[in-house]
Amino acid sequence: MYQPLLTSRYLMTRMIPLLAVAAVALCVALVIVVISVMTGFLDMIRSSGQTLMGDVVITYPIRGIPYYDDLITKLQSKADVKAATPVVDTWGLLRMPYPAGDAKESEQVQIWGVDPSSFSQVTGFTDTLKWSEIPSDTAAMMRWDRMRDRAPALVASLDIPSKIRLLQESAPDEVEGAEPSVLRKLAENATTEDLTKRMLHLTWAPEKLRVVIGDDGMRDFDSFDSRLGDSGLVLADGRSLQRNSRPAIVSGLHVSKANERTSTGDYAISGGGYWWMPNHEATLTTLPIDSRGGMLDPKSIVLPFANEFASGVFLIDQTRIMVPLNIVQDLTNLDAAEIVSPDDPTRVVGTTPAKATMILVRGQNGVDPKQLRELVHNTYGEFESACASAGRNVPRLDRDPGLRVLTWEEQNASFIGPVEKERELMRTLFSIVYLVCGALIVAIFWAIVYEKTRDIGILRSVGASRMGIVWIFLLYGLFVGIFGAITGVGLGWLVTVNMPGIHEQMSHPPLWLGIAMLACAGGVILWTALQLRSGRLLPLLLGILVAIVLTGMGAGELLIRSSGGIVLWDPAVYYFTDVPDTVDWPSAWITALGAVICSVIAAAIPAARAADIDPVGALRYE
Amino acid sequence: MSSPLLEVCDLRKTYRLGHVDVPVLKGCSLKVDRGEWLAILGSSGSGKSTLLHLLGGLDRPDTGGGDIRYEGRPLAKRSTRSLDRYRARTVGFVFQFYHLLPELTVLENAMLPGLVPGGIGGGPARRRVRELLDRFGLSHRLHHRPRELSGGERQRTAIARALANDPQILLADEPTGNLDVHTGKEILDLLAEAHRDGLTIVMVTHDQQIANRADRDGRLVDGVLGPAAAAGSAQSVEDSPTLA
Repeated sequence: MYQPLLTSRYLMTRMIPLLAVAAVALCVALVIVVISVMTGFLDMIRSSGQTLMGDVVITYPIRGIPYYDDLITKLQSKADVKAATPVVDTWGLLRMPYPAGDAKESEQVQIWGVDPSSFSQVTGFTDTLKWSEIPSDTAAMMRWDRMRDRAPALVASLDIPSKIRLLQESAPDEVEGAEPSVLRKLAENATTEDLTKRMLHLTWAPEKLRVVIGDDGMRDFDSFDSRLGDSGLVLADGRSLQRNSRPAIVSGLHVSKANERTSTGDYAISGGGYWWMPNHEATLTTLPIDSRGGMLDPKSIVLPFANEFASGVFLIDQTRIMVPLNIVQDLTNLDAAEIVSPDDPTRVVGTTPAKATMILVRGQNGVDPKQLRELVHNTYGEFESACASAGRNVPRLDRDPGLRVLTWEEQNASFIGPVEKERELMRTLFSIVYLVCGALIVAIFWAIVYEKTRDIGILRSVGASRMGIVWIFLLYGLFVGIFGAITGVGLGWLVTVNMPGIHEQMSHPPLWLGIAMLACAGGVILWTALQLRSGRLLPLLLGILVAIVLTGMGAGELLIRSSGGIVLWDPAVYYFTDVPDTVDWPSAWITALGAVICSVIAAAIPAARAADIDPVGALRYE
Repeated sequence: MSSPLLEVCDLRKTYRLGHVDVPVLKGCSLKVDRGEWLAILGSSGSGKSTLLHLLGGLDRPDTGGGDIRYEGRPLAKRSTRSLDRYRARTVGFVFQFYHLLPELTVLENAMLPGLVPGGIGGGPARRRVRELLDRFGLSHRLHHRPRELSGGERQRTAIARALANDPQILLADEPTGNLDVHTGKEILDLLAEAHRDGLTIVMVTHDQQIANRADRDGRLVDGVLGPAAAAGSAQSVEDSPTLA
């Protein structure tokens, strides 16, 4: 077989096939990156969906499912069910604590009334809590506020050594190298006003303040907010939906406009940390609906914030708030109530049980959501029968179209579906890149065949058949496709897994990169100037082009840097707060295979032309 | 009397240049016996190379334009595949401009015919070609590329390639046309050596002195093969009992 020998030599000794390999590699990498990001989106939606609502959900909006505790007990008695939790889902207005003054902003929010302990067993809610401690800026601001009241008393209580430490910690440069006697004198002569200022200043550096007033003093000072002394409390508040023993809100991170996403992907709290929600309260208002669907008087409640959560799905983080179940039941009139006689309102004739609009169910590990849905469906049937025999009125699966048992995927279908379609659209659109790649291979191979016309004549003269000639170029196309595909997969993988890093670098381009690019541009300009002597046009043109590109990139990079970076991945535009960075391997391999097939098909056209070359004419070809 | 190895009868070949038909061979006949060295003289454009290409099965004569028989069997009736095999095993070409593949080494170029379907195969070709190149004084050049060789070395490589599959007939197209006299003589010595070993050679040249090295010669004039006119020529075509 002479074809592999020739193919390998043509590949190894020429630059032009490298162009074809590069074209294939870039196309493959482009498709892999795009599809991986889209698949990453989809996976995030799926995992977020499952994390936030368990595997299966029973929904009965507005009127709710009564006796849900019995239903949950029945569900949890099944071996395949790990846990189940009631939720009341409604919409309301949240009057935010900002801005300062009376005219506050309001946000439309989706309220989930949840039972924190069972809700955490069904969902991954506790893992999504944003704050594990008070942010440092906020803590400093809180201490400064506190210090304004406490400083005179604290200063009065300081002994001379403490005052010396205060002088040393608040302005080390002023007292550096001072004799102890001088220090003492300074401390004795310091005015209360000066020391108060220094104490206020130290609130921004709690460790220095601790040096001055000691551990006990610090503990005493921080006692105004228990969360300062025990950082675990912030998380605990979030888990229990309580703040200082009061029912509290845990809101999505983007509900509050005070949480600003920075170009690094972190969050800055407006007002230098002042508008940290767990330090504030908000008024939650709902419009309950009566049993006939009519609107009742609005209900309001003032609740503190306990924490915030970041599910990663922007639409959820922007609108959803978690509130204790009983509060939302009360706000929506789904709580347990007495029924009074219409004739005599003072006479109680019965009670209505509390209701939940959703029951979220988590299956044991390895249980398929669709199987679990069947189980939940059947269990609801049992619950229905039990209620019927006890004379209890519950919504029925066969009569109430609003009552549905769905997997989390079905429940989120309106959300997942469009993204799936978008991914397929992207796949189709970017597959057009293959045509470009194929056209490039045809052009490059056509040039190679043209260049190798005489070789074809020689091969025919030693007995090579026309099909043999075809195989040389098909094999060539195959090798170009394989090398290109492997390189493309590698490149796609590198770009995809480093996406957060690349995003970070592009948002905050390092100074050295811009300088290095400009330096390289300078080097290229110098080299181009030296080429002027040779009088050749090609190096001159290439030099100018490369210099322009490098200068543009370097200048652009410095410009972005000087403007403080740009938020490329704005979660307000994209669903997720993080850039997906996992390669969709099945799609990657299909893409690579497609590229190889495309290369071979594209190579077949010039190969057929090569086979048609008249050997006599080829031997005379100069 | 045994039948000739190659027999050409009233061979005609016309090329079309644009809208004009240019007849190159106008009824050329010849016979070549086994083990014979035949030189065909002719000026540039007389159709020497065309005749050689037709003899080697690289080209086909005009429809109804005569016949080429190898061992009594007409080439025209052979399938494309059979002609490929004929070129691989029966004939070997040597060209004026060597026609070596620039990407391959001397050894690879020479053993190329062994690798095509119908060739003797990679292993045997390698052994035979190494032996030939050794005989041709190229054993130190096996892994060099053609561009690193002198003209004589390139032509010796081309001859080794032509002999790789141990063919019966060597078709040499001005084998010394691109070489100086001394190197040309070396190449002709190599051909003579192969001829002594029993190889049949058909060589075209425009140089009478080179043609003199052959057993017989003929002159291609105006598309027809006739006797060589120059003095001191080898036995001319008209004297030959086996030629037309």
